[in-house]
Amino acid sequence: MEREVLFTGVGGQGVQIASRTLATAAMDEGRQVMLVPRYGGGMRGGMTNAELTVGDGPLRALPVAAGAWSAFVMDPSYWYTVAPRLGRHPVVVVNASLVTGPLGLDGATVWEVPAASLAAEVQSPMGAGFVLLGAFAAVTGLVGTEAVVAAMRQLVPAYRTQHLEANERAIRAGADALPALASPAWAGAAA
Amino acid sequence: MGGGGGVTRRLMQGSAAVAEAAIAAGCRFFTGYPMLPFTELLECMAARLPAAGGVCVNAASEIEAINMALGAAATGARSATGSCGQGLALMQEGVAELALNELPLVLFNMARGQQDYFQATRGGGWGDYRTIALAPKDVPEAVAHTQLLFDLADRWRTPVLLYGDYVIAHTSVGIEVEPVVFPPLPPKDWALDGTMSGTGRARQIWTWNRGKPNTPGAGPDAAWKRIADKYAEIERAEARHEARDTEDAEVLLVSFGTTAVFVDRVVEELRADGLRIGSFRPVSLWPFPGSALAEASAGCRAVLVYELNAGQMVDDVTMHAADRSVVRSIGGVSQDASGMRQGDLLDLGALRARVREVIGR
Repeated sequence: MEREVLFTGVGGQGVQIASRTLATAAMDEGRQVMLVPRYGGGMRGGMTNAELTVGDGPLRALPVAAGAWSAFVMDPSYWYTVAPRLGRHPVVVVNASLVTGPLGLDGATVWEVPAASLAAEVQSPMGAGFVLLGAFAAVTGLVGTEAVVAAMRQLVPAYRTQHLEANERAIRAGADALPALASPAWAGAAA
Repeated sequence: MGGGGGVTRRLMQGSAAVAEAAIAAGCRFFTGYPMLPFTELLECMAARLPAAGGVCVNAASEIEAINMALGAAATGARSATGSCGQGLALMQEGVAELALNELPLVLFNMARGQQDYFQATRGGGWGDYRTIALAPKDVPEAVAHTQLLFDLADRWRTPVLLYGDYVIAHTSVGIEVEPVVFPPLPPKDWALDGTMSGTGRARQIWTWNRGKPNTPGAGPDAAWKRIADKYAEIERAEARHEARDTEDAEVLLVSFGTTAVFVDRVVEELRADGLRIGSFRPVSLWPFPGSALAEASAGCRAVLVYELNAGQMVDDVTMHAADRSVVRSIGGVSQDASGMRQGDLLDLGALRARVREVIGR
């Protein structure tokens, strides 16, 4: 089985490290992964997307997703690039601090997480991306929360280690914000 | 484009995997000027090469990069540089000098799309030369091609090129880079070793091949004839391709690089629908696998070329197809809004629609 996650946001929100953290966590849990980031020459404020496929065997996924299982939406600006690539009943986890309008999707299960305000509550003001990631992992069980924390610790570079604790608080705050395994990624997973 | 295989593999971005492969192949000099999507390869080489005993230089321009890389190659070091097609355009004079001085070098074109096919295959500088150009379809193949290219460059003493793209440069998969062992190579007895003039042992690398007063060279006519013969020999020896389901095919889909993984999926789908369709991919863009294409296309009522440009490889396909009247281009120019990668045509649905439209089902 393969599960796809389409990430979208704008530069500076941590979409790239969130997608890489999820990919690394899945790899560490023994899954096969393919991660295709998509951004241009712009930095802050420009489109920053990524497509992640996680599977339990050799992947058949193509590097441009079609009919994806889920979405991770930090910002609404480039949602239009992601929406047409989702499948019929996608799981959509959104940063409700910024995504306030309708998504225009029929048949989707939408989980709203006030990621920016939760990040501020746990004194991790730059950690909104990790809040949403913690929430996504918890509600889907695509990977475990502990794997997300461990992957984050692997990926944060040496000159950013002062943020490790705040990042971890953000991931755990996100994990507590949604019901565990309410939209399970894998058959047989139970809350 | 599967990650495939065991869980002990590391999650690596294509650029990092290609850098590891270059270092595993013995690359010890690398230089370049940052240009997306080549930048990450330069960054990875800068991070990894010094620890491997090599040197990586962030050049001030692509022209500086190609000429530094030429200098390193002239000493016999395994040397490489690269850019995207825009930067490689600036490097073309250097590539011609490398070819006509018979210096091995690996060039990485982490292209912004598929519009550099002519640049990769026609020789972009002056003189009679081509560059061996391999176009991987995914990250694992880019790793294999990188190591093969360092061998081919030394074996044939020629600049060679990897035609990658944004997707290959940026896609991360679980992969392990293992050094590949190739057959022994002749010694580099032509390499400059620092011996100065006046010793009688100084070596010379000179495009015109005139030699020195007491040891005259062959001169341009003889030297360039020999080099032209060498490229003819490469053309016979180094063509590579992949053909799938061509035995009974009445429709043949031809593509190169990343687009090929989409083509193979469409072939799979349409085969399941009962259509006799196959695919053909030049793995080496030059030498173009012409006789293999002639064989694969024999009996086909349609040969459809899917490349994301205004029609470049279609020239080579038309030249070699069994029946040139059935060759048709179904690709087109397609860039995304950033201009850094292929656009909406790099898509299974778009390809499927174009194939169905042409074949009428």
